[in-house]
Amino acid sequence: MAATVRIPTPLRKLTNDKAEVEAEGSNIESIIENLEANYAGIKERICDEAGNIRRFVNIYLNDEDIRFLDGKTTAVNDGDEVSIIPAIAGGR
Amino acid sequence: MLELRHDTTSEIYAHAMEEFPNECCGAIMADGVREFVRRCRNVQNERHAEDPETYPRDARTAYLMDPDDLIKIHREVDTEGRKIKAFYHSHPNEDAYFSAKDKSDATEPWGIPNYPDTVYVVISLYDRQINVARAFSWDESTEDFVEVPIGVAGDM
Repeated sequence: MAATVRIPTPLRKLTNDKAEVEAEGSNIESIIENLEANYAGIKERICDEAGNIRRFVNIYLNDEDIRFLDGKTTAVNDGDEVSIIPAIAGGR
Repeated sequence: MLELRHDTTSEIYAHAMEEFPNECCGAIMADGVREFVRRCRNVQNERHAEDPETYPRDARTAYLMDPDDLIKIHREVDTEGRKIKAFYHSHPNEDAYFSAKDKSDATEPWGIPNYPDTVYVVISLYDRQINVARAFSWDESTEDFVEVPIGVAGDM
């Protein structure tokens, strides 16, 4: 299964400045592993030490936040688009 | 200098007043000619209710932009060719400074700015009365957010 993955600006130095890359995998977790195989260092940016998606990282399958799907085990099909987008937050 | 159209400023002020006493949040999109305000949902109260340990603040003192709204903004960039000119949020009953939390969240989780080319607008209001808005952007040389003046587009 090949999906297109959108890379946020701060991580593009890991992907040779590419905003979109292809990745293989049947779910989000294996997509992240495949990204790591091609772009070393990207996994630790996306996941914490325990392997969970970092709190400030939103991952979408097509336009759906994976928190409201099956998280890391969300199935990915051929031609899907995975977007990695950092959260917007703050406060006084 | 961040130049905003008068209508844009009115719209983000109206949003801040409507959300009071909670913080509002949103984005200002631009295509070079027009500006579009995209009000976003602040989901801080929901996250705080679900997990107060991770999210100790509620929406009166913090904001977290609804991820569903955030992806829509990115789709608008893709499909309409617009850029994200600014993100905005309010500080109810506080001044318009770029707080420690604003700075750290704008660089979480990688310690570098998530949107180095996007300005952050902070609106101060007290009891639904707008006080002032200030804008902040990432400064490469000092590696910090610095204030940039807000001007009215079209004014010479």
